[in-house]
Amino acid sequence: MQQQQHPEQALRNIAELALALMRAQGFDAARADASRSLSTELNLAHNEPSLLRSTQSHKLVLTGIVDARLASTELSDLSDGSLREAVAALHANAIAAPQDEANAITAGQRARIDQGPAEADEALLADKVAELLDFRARESPLMMLEEGYASHTEVQLQTLSSGDSDLACRIGWYGLSTFGTAREGKRTSSFNHAEGNAHDLRSQPAQTFFGIDRLLRETPRQIDAAPIGAKFVGDVVLAPNAVASLLGWLHGQIGDLQLIAGTSLYQGKVGEKIASPLLNLRSRFDAPGVAALSADGFATPPVELLREGRLMCLTPSLFASRKTALPHVPVAGSGWELAAGVTPLDELLAGVKQGALVGRLSMGHPATNGDFSGVIKNSFRIEGGEVGGALREVMISGNVAQMLREVVAVSRERIDTGGTCLPWLRVRGLHFS
Amino acid sequence: MDMPTNTAMATYSEQRRHELRKTRMVMIDGQLAVNTRSSEGGNSARVYDGGYWGFASSPDAKPAELEERALRNARTMGRFGTRSALALPGGSYRGEHVFKGKPALTPQDCADRLAALHAYCRRQYPQLKSTRFMLQEEQHSKWLATSVGGESLASIQRGVASITFIAEDAQGAPVELSEMLSCKGSLADLDLSVETLGPVLEQLHTHLQAKRQAVAASGGLHKVVISPALAGILAHEAMGHPCEADIVLGGAVTGDLLGQRVASELVTMVDFAHSFNGQETIIPVYVDDEGTPGRDAVLIDKGVLTNFMHSRETAARMGLQATGSARAYAPGDEPLVRMRNTAILPGRDKLQQMIEGVDKGYLLMKTGNGQADSTTEFMFAISLGYEIRDGKLGRAIRDTTVSGSAIKVLQSVDAVSDDMVWSGSGYCGKKQPMVVSMGGPALRAMAQLGGE
Repeated sequence: MQQQQHPEQALRNIAELALALMRAQGFDAARADASRSLSTELNLAHNEPSLLRSTQSHKLVLTGIVDARLASTELSDLSDGSLREAVAALHANAIAAPQDEANAITAGQRARIDQGPAEADEALLADKVAELLDFRARESPLMMLEEGYASHTEVQLQTLSSGDSDLACRIGWYGLSTFGTAREGKRTSSFNHAEGNAHDLRSQPAQTFFGIDRLLRETPRQIDAAPIGAKFVGDVVLAPNAVASLLGWLHGQIGDLQLIAGTSLYQGKVGEKIASPLLNLRSRFDAPGVAALSADGFATPPVELLREGRLMCLTPSLFASRKTALPHVPVAGSGWELAAGVTPLDELLAGVKQGALVGRLSMGHPATNGDFSGVIKNSFRIEGGEVGGALREVMISGNVAQMLREVVAVSRERIDTGGTCLPWLRVRGLHFS
Repeated sequence: MDMPTNTAMATYSEQRRHELRKTRMVMIDGQLAVNTRSSEGGNSARVYDGGYWGFASSPDAKPAELEERALRNARTMGRFGTRSALALPGGSYRGEHVFKGKPALTPQDCADRLAALHAYCRRQYPQLKSTRFMLQEEQHSKWLATSVGGESLASIQRGVASITFIAEDAQGAPVELSEMLSCKGSLADLDLSVETLGPVLEQLHTHLQAKRQAVAASGGLHKVVISPALAGILAHEAMGHPCEADIVLGGAVTGDLLGQRVASELVTMVDFAHSFNGQETIIPVYVDDEGTPGRDAVLIDKGVLTNFMHSRETAARMGLQATGSARAYAPGDEPLVRMRNTAILPGRDKLQQMIEGVDKGYLLMKTGNGQADSTTEFMFAISLGYEIRDGKLGRAIRDTTVSGSAIKVLQSVDAVSDDMVWSGSGYCGKKQPMVVSMGGPALRAMAQLGGE
């Protein structure tokens, strides 16, 4: 009887075979990432359980350099013939690429990561969906959960390179997600959502994760919304969902695209104050659903981006680092936390004379210089420190870089979604219209 | 390769073999920062049994094994209680639709075109701080078999090129502007020669120079002329999403508005399945991923809300006809209600006259991303616009956002141009990404602009 190969060993074998074929093909440097993913997802739709899905996938990503020319390819057919064909095509692709001495491949990296639950517990997923639906029916009957799920995912990855990098990773996590609107008669709220990842869902009721209970209680209050009715300059209190939009822009500014193009506002600003002294931003690359590995094949030690508003580093990949002569700072795909402040949320809100509590920013990508305008969603008016009625059709405009400097208070409370752990921020000086 | 076969173990089932190939190359200032190709294939099965759905997918498991797993999943859902199964409408489709374009470009061809574009721009526009070119092509091939007799092969293939110029304003801050080009087929079907693109690049550069001196838009309600290139995203974001039947069932305000006036009578909006004016659209959906034949969904007819886009299940729940709008993005995805080729139809006005008819307002010309809402309150980014003063174009405006209630904005439309622009470059996001196309003429309406 043929013995089933252990998945970890199977991935290693595929990566080794791919690397051997790439060497034989004539690549000067090569990297192979073999991965496998298993996911079980129990979905709800329109306030009812709807679908159970089981998905399995595997893929191999190959990156090769020949004569300082780089190309990469990704395939899901891992048969011997497909692999040989992919390696030959990759070689042709690389030869066609322009030479660039900045091209390089991970070398000398070692990591073994093993975290999170390995097996999906279908009964647990069903229990969590039932808890969400029961809570909605009991505490927030006007809420229509248009979609949502409880899920378990396990990803295994093996990276090998010709430069002797050897990274093995297995991470498992549970996820919960809710998305919906509240409705009464013919009146409806804006949609709202909350989601996140955790290593364990058993410890507490489903609605207590990721701010889901807050979502389910607050959204019905947004059914009757009104315009703000005036143009003024005021303050906003950004909820964690909206804070994530600010941080997304900052990550873009200190990442490859802007650094290579020389258009980052923060090039040459390491060590300088670029944000409010209340902001401390650091990595949490061991968070649920996050692997402490960078896309360019490096182990990612903890990183501090902002210390009391001071920019501690930029985050160029190996390629961008060689392109710009900036130090290489490998970072994982997600996993960031903004340190909690000392101000209770109620006090944070009470400090706003005129403005809004902003649940979500619906906006285009801010301009490269940070200018932005956007619609504030799932938001409430604040006047004289009192949170009032829900708002609709209200826009704010400003500059994201300026907003980071104008943070005047950080909440003690945070929402931990796994990939991020963020507080509420009070920011002054936004234009309302 | 094990192809899907028609079995009938449950109320309804479908098997899909899905292959997805992509190419992506990004050149920044002459250096190839991204140069990758991918090929993903997989089988999936979805089963409707006892009022619940089960789904299973794998790159290499046999379709019959996956159907068995999907059936087991659907039956596992029975733990939530027994349900009566809906009778799913939609019919069946048998046929093959594969686009036959030009032979694909080789990697060398792609690299040469990028290098030629970079060299041309460096020569023509030496003051630019940075240039960025992106080439992307994507091909989906789906073999489908359903328990109601459907058997089909459907292919969707599109090529996209984007060009971004970055300059500096008087304060040294970066200012950027992009142009997106798209086509049905592969990159070979997109003319990327400098001879053809020269005028496009010149126009982009001219607008960028104007944007370097741009002023902030005045925030608030304004009369705006939305250029044809933007009307498609207005159609998609503003009324397209709220007319997806799963969102209607989720509580969107459109659910109570069927048969009512939601727009000016100048506005007719259609989600085309596969053809417009006798021509095949950029994203032709002859059959969706549930095996339902694609039918046009006339969403707004002369200002009146007339229909929604449906899957088999939403059609059953609402007692309406399935439109063939259930689409899955990747081999491991189940079909969701998605748009296909959504457009506002052209009218009779001339763009120039529409501008001349505005005393004080804005011409909105280019967009980035957009977002919809169940209330029909939409937004999309404006990356290029100009003031209109006394019927003439004035200064360029800085990046801003246009928003409003789609119903109010569409009801305020007082002119629709007689031309039409289609674009297939964007992705729509809704649990899964999706390739869609959108189109429209220029519209004149009242809308909110972000600004000081």
